[in-house]
Amino acid sequence: MSAVLPGAVEPVAPPRTPQDPRRRWTSTSGRPPSLADVSRATVLIALSLVVLIPLLWVVLGSFKTPAELALRPPTLVPREWMPGNYTEALGAFAFVRALGNSVFVTVVATALTLVVNSLAAYALAKYNFRGRDFLFLVTLATIMIPLQVILIPVYQITAQLGLVNSLWGVIIPAVATPTGVFLLRQYMLTIPDELIDSARVDGASELRIFLRIVLPLCRPALAVLAIFSVLWRWNDFLWPLVVTDQNTRTLPVALSQFASQEVVPFNLVLVMSVVSIIPVLVAFLLFQRQIVQGIASTGLK
Amino acid sequence: MTSRPPATPDAPAAAAGPAPTRRRPRYRPGGTVLTPYLFLLPNMLIFGLFTIWPAINGFNISLYASTTGRSFEWAGLDNYRAIGADDRFWSALTNTLVYVAGFVALSVVCAVLLAVALNAQLRGRSFFRAVFFLPVLLSPVVVGLMWRWMLERRGGLVNAGLQAIGGPEMPWLVDGRLAMLSIIAVGLWTNVGFYTMIALAGLQSIDGSLYEAASVDGASRSQQFWGITLPLLMPTVMVVLILATINGFQAFDYIYNLTGGGPVGGTTLMVQFIYDNAFGPRREYGMAAAASVVLFLVVLSFTLVNWFIGRRREAT
Repeated sequence: MSAVLPGAVEPVAPPRTPQDPRRRWTSTSGRPPSLADVSRATVLIALSLVVLIPLLWVVLGSFKTPAELALRPPTLVPREWMPGNYTEALGAFAFVRALGNSVFVTVVATALTLVVNSLAAYALAKYNFRGRDFLFLVTLATIMIPLQVILIPVYQITAQLGLVNSLWGVIIPAVATPTGVFLLRQYMLTIPDELIDSARVDGASELRIFLRIVLPLCRPALAVLAIFSVLWRWNDFLWPLVVTDQNTRTLPVALSQFASQEVVPFNLVLVMSVVSIIPVLVAFLLFQRQIVQGIASTGLK
Repeated sequence: MTSRPPATPDAPAAAAGPAPTRRRPRYRPGGTVLTPYLFLLPNMLIFGLFTIWPAINGFNISLYASTTGRSFEWAGLDNYRAIGADDRFWSALTNTLVYVAGFVALSVVCAVLLAVALNAQLRGRSFFRAVFFLPVLLSPVVVGLMWRWMLERRGGLVNAGLQAIGGPEMPWLVDGRLAMLSIIAVGLWTNVGFYTMIALAGLQSIDGSLYEAASVDGASRSQQFWGITLPLLMPTVMVVLILATINGFQAFDYIYNLTGGGPVGGTTLMVQFIYDNAFGPRREYGMAAAASVVLFLVVLSFTLVNWFIGRRREAT
């Protein structure tokens, strides 16, 4: 609040002037909050219910019996709790396999993304070579070319390389992401060249400099890219839908196909939905700051 | 595919030391001339194969007749003629434009309003910020299925809520217009937190002393909003506008799981048209590729127009 000079006796709390409207809502001065404050809070609470209720409904629904899920009008809180839905789903082979595929794709793709992008970013940030600016510009320009637009040619090349219906076909095509290169390069530019030069004078090899000096200093940027990569890969749908088959389905694809059967086992669909939300929720709670920082620095989600 | 360690003989950096530096002082060759290229190799290989080459080749594919993806026969502009004569293409294009217009307009307005509300002093501010951002991270498949279930005609929570307050039972996903409204609303639900976050960052870069000066001069809150906040936020609004436009044109995954493109193609957008043609039973690669080129050109022109308008506004 206001800076009180040391030694000065604080006078009676100054009356809150109308010029100071921003403090009022949190103040304890006893003044009633203005109409604007009340309506703003009401709208925000209503909107956050719009966000939270569907999620709550899914989570609660995953504990309902199939009979209760068919009830009209629907119930919100289960009358009879069925944790058995979870054991039933986890006992279904296809679900476990899809979960395993998703975990594998997410982990391996994220690791490869970090390796490949950080190597490239280092070259673009710390070496001066023929074609550097051109390559960087091309990388930046392709941020504007979404997969949706080049889906067919990407599928063709993946097919020609024999990667269709394999988990590597899900993983590799998106590993070299321009966003990642951009993010890491910008960060590496802030590493002082003197550090690298002095390591060279000491006789360290180029790779060693990269591994021992540059990478550890880039940990915050690498963390941001890792979190984003996990979220992208975990939630990715269009590419895995196109490139996977029965055995290589990831969780979102399996969930989508499971939910479009003739007779939908709703209780299991809800369990799968909840399971696929949990890692995202955990990542969000743990890394909220990095996620926001990543969006602020790249403008991409 | 592993990263191959660049083979660098321990060439002492001093070897190039005495030579006068011709370029920027940053130029201190370590390793060999090849070293930076070796660092770039894994990335550029994958990037070239799966992004650059497809971006070039996509146009090429659209000029060949192909129903299997194997046999290619020069077709010239036949594929473009074919989609031009296909009602489903025009309906997908129209649907996409309607969707983008609604989605972008609502996204920009809601993001700015939400950001202003969340930037003020209020109790539970970080809680609200977190809640509105949460849907951004959810799987689009879950979002689609969740809302399919919520918007069900009978037994959906939305209609149950409406009826509880005496409202009608709405055919949200069955009626064409309502279905379009529904996908726009769900698109907004998923993405608005993302745009709000960007708008919030823009708001926080506005100098607070401007508001103090304005309130000393007796400007009301709404005067401050129109006179200070909005003009200074314009560059951020343009960013949100461009991102929302691009995202709008790419919309597919949650719509696919919410309506499946129905009723009768009423919510089939361009990406789904491309997907259905290429990977549905028809396997019309050539037509799908032609539609992709059209989509690309549409996105590009919209982005360029946005960009030029944004630049002109900044200049004045």
